Amino acid sequence: MPFAGIDIGSTMTKVVIVDRKETILASVIGPTGVEHRHLALKVMDEAIGQCGLTFEALDFIVATGYGRINVPFADKQITEITCHARGIRAIFPTVRIIIDIGGQDSKGIKLDTGGKVANFVMNDKCAAGTGRFLEVIAETLGVKLADMGKISLAAREYVKISNTCTVFAEHEVTSRLAEGATIPEIVAGLHESIAGRVVNMVRHLGIEKDVVVTGGGAKNIGLVKAMEGKIGFPVLVPPEPFLTGALGAALLGKGFFDRGMIRDHERRLESVTFFK
Amino acid sequence: MEAKEQVKTTAVKGTDMARKVRGLVKNIYKSAHEAKAEGKKVAYFMVASQYDEIIRAMDVVPLPTENYAGLCAAKRDMDRFLLKAEADGYSQVLCSYARIGLGFDSLRKELGGIPEGAPDGGMPVPDMMLGSSAVCDPRFKWYQAAGRYLQVPTYSIDVVAPPVYADLNAVRDYYIKYQKEQMQGLISFLEAQTGRKMDKERLWETIRLSDKAWQLWYEIDRLRVAIPSPMPTQDHFSIMVAGHYYSGTQVAVDFYQGLYDEVKYKAENSIGVIPDEKYRILYGGGLPPWHTLWIFNYFESFGAVFVIENVYRGYDPVEVPSHVKDPVEYLAWRAYLRFTQRHEKARANSGNPIVERLLGMIKDYKIDGVVFHACRSCRATTVGQVHLKNLLGQYTDIPMMQLVSDMVDLRDYSEAQWKAQIGAFIEALAGRSA
Amino acid sequence: MTAFSQLDAFYQERGKHARELHDSGKKVIGYFCCFVPDEIITAFDMVPYRIQGSQSEPIDQADAFIEPMACPFARSCFNLALKGKYDFLDGFVAPHSCDTVERMYHIWRHNKPAPFNHFINVPHMMGPSSDEFYRKELAYFIKSLEEWSGRKLDTGKLKDAVRLYNRRRAVLRELYELRKPDPPLVSGTEITKVLVAGMGIPAANHIELVKQFIKEVKERPQPKAQKLPRIFIWGNEIDDIAFIRLVEESGAHVVMDDLCTGTRFFWDDVPQTDDPLDGIASRYIQTHCPRSNVPQAQTRKKDLENRYGYINRFVKEWGVDGVIFYIVRYCDTCELEGPDLREYLNEMKLPVLMIEDDYSTSTIGQLRTRVQAFLEMITT
Repeated sequence: MPFAGIDIGSTMTKVVIVDRKETILASVIGPTGVEHRHLALKVMDEAIGQCGLTFEALDFIVATGYGRINVPFADKQITEITCHARGIRAIFPTVRIIIDIGGQDSKGIKLDTGGKVANFVMNDKCAAGTGRFLEVIAETLGVKLADMGKISLAAREYVKISNTCTVFAEHEVTSRLAEGATIPEIVAGLHESIAGRVVNMVRHLGIEKDVVVTGGGAKNIGLVKAMEGKIGFPVLVPPEPFLTGALGAALLGKGFFDRGMIRDHERRLESVTFFK
Repeated sequence: MEAKEQVKTTAVKGTDMARKVRGLVKNIYKSAHEAKAEGKKVAYFMVASQYDEIIRAMDVVPLPTENYAGLCAAKRDMDRFLLKAEADGYSQVLCSYARIGLGFDSLRKELGGIPEGAPDGGMPVPDMMLGSSAVCDPRFKWYQAAGRYLQVPTYSIDVVAPPVYADLNAVRDYYIKYQKEQMQGLISFLEAQTGRKMDKERLWETIRLSDKAWQLWYEIDRLRVAIPSPMPTQDHFSIMVAGHYYSGTQVAVDFYQGLYDEVKYKAENSIGVIPDEKYRILYGGGLPPWHTLWIFNYFESFGAVFVIENVYRGYDPVEVPSHVKDPVEYLAWRAYLRFTQRHEKARANSGNPIVERLLGMIKDYKIDGVVFHACRSCRATTVGQVHLKNLLGQYTDIPMMQLVSDMVDLRDYSEAQWKAQIGAFIEALAGRSA
Repeated sequence: MTAFSQLDAFYQERGKHARELHDSGKKVIGYFCCFVPDEIITAFDMVPYRIQGSQSEPIDQADAFIEPMACPFARSCFNLALKGKYDFLDGFVAPHSCDTVERMYHIWRHNKPAPFNHFINVPHMMGPSSDEFYRKELAYFIKSLEEWSGRKLDTGKLKDAVRLYNRRRAVLRELYELRKPDPPLVSGTEITKVLVAGMGIPAANHIELVKQFIKEVKERPQPKAQKLPRIFIWGNEIDDIAFIRLVEESGAHVVMDDLCTGTRFFWDDVPQTDDPLDGIASRYIQTHCPRSNVPQAQTRKKDLENRYGYINRFVKEWGVDGVIFYIVRYCDTCELEGPDLREYLNEMKLPVLMIEDDYSTSTIGQLRTRVQAFLEMITT
């Protein structure tokens, strides 16, 4: 009796399949692809193959993420807020605050003592405070995004970057370099800037222990340290930050199935479409 | 991790008197703390609300929250207050003065005391908050919102002005009546708060001092038509403290007397702000960039001096009819006359009283170019600048430009962008004088 | 043709009927907001037309005249004017709603003047002296209309207008009663269309159509019970169904509102007074709007109750589960009011989602996740 969760992000699609006992049977991360939307279906196929099942054997499929709206093979679609909350709760039962720093948006989620979502905040209107901000500046500096964390740890001081507009920040970075700032100092400054924005957004919820950081940003050690500095205590990071949404979706699917939830529509194993 | 040291961003002043203002500003907050310690009443208040004399005459110590926000920006210590307000649910596009004020009140409440290292000792908890509807809406909504952090008596007055096309003969009487009643309401409120009655003679005294100071201030600005400019705009943003925050006191009169003497001397002896004044600029409108006032010196490095400005300005002197014997009625008449002083001229010409004032300045001060500052979070002084530029453009062809940032929020400011725009503007000015 | 399809046609083709009336010789007076009394305009045999913007059209011409960091609703309205969409207006009237409308009035008047233009100063403060000032401003407005039209105001006609608009208020309240059942008999999307349709047609027409629509609703088969969350919307101008539809499609019923395009403009009657202007002034000045300053009460608790008590009643009688604030960006008064109202509602154990949007259907997609997550959160 397996359950599947599929998290279709703007750049990556993640699938997690769990069994009755909530053990993970399969997990796959693949590209969503802008032109080739059927790649989401491929990721689904791969996951099913990984655990030697068939599509029909899946008792409930929940879709989440940016592309969740038009998923012909999903039984229900749920927002990533609810799914991340469920997934992380399974990994860290003491979690009260989740901070998700994604490529295109960042979120703060507050859970109550029962593990339910009590409140949330989102920043999806602007690049600053997201991975995109770092990506753009990394290119300006000529460094790899994946190395940003390590590089920043080499700095003793950070250079304050005031601008939150990505374009303005690029100019500011160039000016600072010309004034003699080092790349580690600038990268550290960028992390401070993002951490400041994100933590401030989350403060709106009232920060309490335990705090879990997830999403792509969780893999950046420099950013995580900067956030701990702002929060004032250490944070927890899941072993696979990219998969927590899909995991939560699968677990929610199990919940729906157990409660006899009716499917949204008849599911078909077809390509995902983003536009009607 | 510690932040690297930042460069100084405050302006270099042109006059000695302007340099003395730092002391005046420090004193505002020091007085407020002292007043609290002595058991005197302290009130949050809004600048340019036509009620300063009433507050002073009741011996209430005014605490200007907008000025405090500007001070925090000038000291580059505004982030923690802005962020606190935003964390509390206030939008990032909301008036940044209000965000700093609310953030400060919120932090002060949370910490149970003045936030550490707050500029000039911070603001003590006031005994009351006095808002007004003059100039913009946040100036009365802000204190209402602050009720979240401070449970103190709060009172706001309406300040009304007839639109330019109103038939003044038909509306004058009831506008003045309403204004008087609004001010009377404030007096009743303050009487209840202080347990004292308003002394009308005392009120007349503060009015006379305030009128005297503003008369001097007006005359100083008339001296600034001199070429080269004896006092630049960055000084104005300092010396306005006397007229706007010490209105009704001898301190303001003495200060402007001292400034008048200095500016007169400089004007008569052709002592300019910079040795080689090439271009005379009008700061056409918009709250100043408190976070980077040094930008005026940057213009000066190209020979461009800001010789006059149209923000935080005093009003031209007005003549209240001699039949007005009551000081509160006097204040209402004065407000009405100030707001309508260019209505007739506007109706005969551009249709806009601000344009009339700017055209007058362009002519009298021999202006070569106009610069506006659009603040992302200030609807009041920003919305309409494009319109002013369009109207002005029908009467003059001097170069005009609009710089965009915010009055205190640094996140909206891009130095690289501004330098590029300024460079192009200077070239436009140079092209004309060639 | 059903009443609803007629109302829908007026919703879709805004201004069409008003333009026809103008072409036939009637004077159409365009106005903003809730502080310009329809009764006065109607008493002069003129047609009041509440100016709206267009959420689906990009604001492509206004930047040359007015800054982008201003209320996008106001800018959108002005943009339509620049494109000639409001050329049928014989009159252009704006109240002092807020900083942006006040500034925009002058910019609009300079660039696209109507034959008659008037600005009504509305007090920001509330109290006896403010009531009197507003009444004087309305009297001055009447005087200006008299001068322009060459006719004196007939007090009898003003009394008739008061009765007419009170009838409209009553019929709209009756329509809102249909939102009380669970599930509501009429959707938030339908309500929006009905209200917006009424902004561009004479009140007498609107009353008939709404009455007919109420009959049609009662005759339709009962909607299936679904146990969806019941939502209250607070904010300012919603003259397009896009957002309400998004909320309902995400799995909710929008059952009640406090919007200036909703209950704010029609809920309370104008008292019928000997001098009709007295009743009109007293009713309109009491419009519940963040731009009006309610004098502070003794304690914080009393103050919030004073300011929001009317919402308490709406929420209880319409069985509301959650509240969404839909605030148009740059609305300073709503943005300063919001956190206080949220505190009041949270005290009542009502969850609140605060949304700041650009008055444009192009950003609706980004709101989908927030709205859906909120609905997921409040559903047990």
